[in-house]
Amino acid sequence: MNLNILLYEFHHFIKNKAKLFSFIFFMAICVFSIYNGIVISNSQTNTIEDITNKVTKEHVKVIEWFENGDKGPEDRSWVNIEDPFWSIRYTPTYVFKYPSPLLPLGIGQTKQFGFYKKINRWSSTYDTDIVQEISNYERLINGDIDFSFLIIFLLPILIIILTYNINGLEIDLGIHKLISIQHKNVKIWLVNRMLFYFILVIVSIDLLILLVGLLNIGVYNHPTIFQIILISNIYILIYFLIFYFLNIYTKNSSNTAFKMISIWLLFCVIIPGSVHQYVNYKYPANYMVDFLDVNRKQTYDVFKLENSELFDMLYEIHPSISKEKDLEDLTSNKQNIRRSISSIVNQMNINAAYEIEKQNEAKNNLIRSTYLFNPISFIQNTWNSYTNSDYYAYKDFRIKIQESINARNNLMIDDLWSGKKVDSETYKEYLKVLN
Amino acid sequence: MINIFYNEWKGFLRNKLFIFLTSFFVFSLFLVTYLSVLQNKKQIENQEDAHEYIRSQWDEIDSTNAHSAAHFGTFAFKPNTILNSLDEGINSVTGLVLRLEGHKQNDVAYSERSQSLEISKFGKFKPYLIFQFIIPLLLIFLSFNSYTSEVSSGRLKLLIVQGNNINKIVFGKIFTLYSISIILLIITIIIQSLFTFDEFSLDEMIRLFIFFLCYAFYYFIIISLTIFLSIVFKNNISSLSISLIIWLLWTIFLPKTIGNFTENLHNLPSRFELKEEMTNDRSKGIDGHNPSDKRRSELEKEVLKKYNVETVAQLPINFSGILLQADEEYGNKVWDKHFGRVHEILKKQKRTYQISGLINPFASLQSLSMASCGTDLIHHLDFLNASESYRRYFVEALNNEYTFVSTSGDNAYLSNNEFFRSINDFIYVSPKFSLFFHYYFLDALSLTIWILILIFSINYKLRKIVIQ
Repeated sequence: MNLNILLYEFHHFIKNKAKLFSFIFFMAICVFSIYNGIVISNSQTNTIEDITNKVTKEHVKVIEWFENGDKGPEDRSWVNIEDPFWSIRYTPTYVFKYPSPLLPLGIGQTKQFGFYKKINRWSSTYDTDIVQEISNYERLINGDIDFSFLIIFLLPILIIILTYNINGLEIDLGIHKLISIQHKNVKIWLVNRMLFYFILVIVSIDLLILLVGLLNIGVYNHPTIFQIILISNIYILIYFLIFYFLNIYTKNSSNTAFKMISIWLLFCVIIPGSVHQYVNYKYPANYMVDFLDVNRKQTYDVFKLENSELFDMLYEIHPSISKEKDLEDLTSNKQNIRRSISSIVNQMNINAAYEIEKQNEAKNNLIRSTYLFNPISFIQNTWNSYTNSDYYAYKDFRIKIQESINARNNLMIDDLWSGKKVDSETYKEYLKVLN
Repeated sequence: MINIFYNEWKGFLRNKLFIFLTSFFVFSLFLVTYLSVLQNKKQIENQEDAHEYIRSQWDEIDSTNAHSAAHFGTFAFKPNTILNSLDEGINSVTGLVLRLEGHKQNDVAYSERSQSLEISKFGKFKPYLIFQFIIPLLLIFLSFNSYTSEVSSGRLKLLIVQGNNINKIVFGKIFTLYSISIILLIITIIIQSLFTFDEFSLDEMIRLFIFFLCYAFYYFIIISLTIFLSIVFKNNISSLSISLIIWLLWTIFLPKTIGNFTENLHNLPSRFELKEEMTNDRSKGIDGHNPSDKRRSELEKEVLKKYNVETVAQLPINFSGILLQADEEYGNKVWDKHFGRVHEILKKQKRTYQISGLINPFASLQSLSMASCGTDLIHHLDFLNASESYRRYFVEALNNEYTFVSTSGDNAYLSNNEFFRSINDFIYVSPKFSLFFHYYFLDALSLTIWILILIFSINYKLRKIVIQ
């Protein structure tokens, strides 16, 4: 490292208004993007708090019914909350996808998915109430000012602005030979000049990442911050290496700028766009007909089945009810069987959702297989996984939803078929199990 | 000017890099347009299959209760337009499937982007990606030194001495570069037309023409702005740097920041807030399943009076059906109030964003490009409204059947298959562009204003230049 060259480059950077302004401008957008991420995160947290407050009020209301000896709401005389069927129905449950503390560093696919889901016994992981928040679709395609987007897509352009005329300008001005005379090795001179910008960029970006980490979770408690720093630094280093070689073999600065922009276009726009197009051709957007079929037609068909057939299906899912299986019990348990249909439908939904997840996984495998020549998508998805905002973070959310639906149906079956009478203590147990 | 134009072309054709780049773009456009048409046709086929499958289920319904059939419902699948292959607009982020059923309006769900990992931030490699991101860059690189190189080589003086006017020289250069972009546009339009001609109507032709015009306008802006900057800055590096920074601001930075700004200016409610408000409003209405509802008695009195009978049992119709339809109509009013407000806010956001076309012509281009392909927000809202209108027709038909074919207390009455088949299918036809043009007038105006300002600015700047 030659300190003189670094110092010279620093002076050049300070005096060059275009470079200085671009850098300050970029850093300002980075700060804004982090603020934007915090706003999104806070907005989700507030919605989750609102829902939780509302649900808590409803729980308190039901507990009061128990304490006052009421059977349910005044205008619904048929409700009896001592019956597990009704008390579980009156246990409102939501499953949440809590925003990651690192969301300000990358909102990823957050805006493509819903982050809360009300659960009832008929719910499924692909219900239509789990869609993304109400938003302007034209805004969604343009995307947010997102920190990860800035680093992955815009930082290379800043690097281009900072470095495109290193060596090229000397050739443009015809003083290149002078450089060769003053510095025995032009390559080392070039390395030192580019090193200044590398250090400038790396230090600035790492500081911002660390700042968000410190403010949100405390940097020492979260290795993910260091993973984000590592991946961003490797990414930046690769760009510097590519641009270094372009600068060595430059003909003039505009020629180098053209090549640098072409590389950016190729890796950030053309290759991901082509992969996107190919993946979509191979796996067109799914209209979810198989799932809709189960959710509607097959569900209605289940209602038409005889009780004995329903019982057989139930028994397969819940062997614990086997002792009840005889004709006499079937007649007396008619209501229980009809009330347990949701459990059969839930199993059908699980099977249908599994097929959808399988199709999506095949699509994801195809995407991953392109990472070798499509590194931007790799970086993007890895980054999103660190900020818990990728497809799989939302798949985990769907798994949580399914667990909650299962818990509700299992509880319903167990307590219905054992003839349990619900009191306030049992209800509080329900709250624990279902929330 | 013709001579300049002719000479410029001769110069370009002698340049191997230019030949290579142009051939590359022509080949890319051919390939990309063809593959996009194929991909789009496949998606349209899938949509039609899904639609037919769901309709066939409806047509095969056994005798069943009409109200149960309203719960069974149907689905609207968002169709792709033929021109979706040129610019898919918002289609990858909107849902594709909308469940239409009694009692409630659902959200359109299952967007393409929610079905996989993230791939491209800038969308699929379709013609619009080339037109919006890549060709403008090519034009910047072709034009940033076309004026300054004439000055530095002394050719400009020579041309003026020979009796040429500087305006003619500069505009000759602009039109030469412009003709390259027009050729690339025409090639794409021809390829698109070749592969989809049999499906074209007059409206599609108008839309293609608008598509062509908006890009033609934008390219003129890009070329003349780059040349204007090179006249102002008088050196290659400055004009290239500024042009690139402007390109970056227009295509990447401003759409995001202005989008953010419009969202903050016209706030959308959260889904939870909206649902709460709608539930509150709806609870004031008649719940078809709730016999204790106060409003029920008012309606009951009204109906008994109309049929001149004493009790519900004496009614020649099924009173439950009347209740259901009354609840449905109240629910529709609630939906109109709340979603009407949401749609209005979305339109306001769009309008504010369109105004930004005055500082960012890319916003106008993007808006017109999506609009001409029928893939923008306005077209999407039209699809949602058409689906909701159909849902109302569908549910009303079922409620009427339930009301007028059975009688009160006869809730187990089953309607036959013939009745269910008689309910019309949901067929969505994309509206004619002329009906929606007023939404995009501002975009067209912005692009025109940009062109006029640039022509004026170049003329003004050239008049001040003294050639010695």
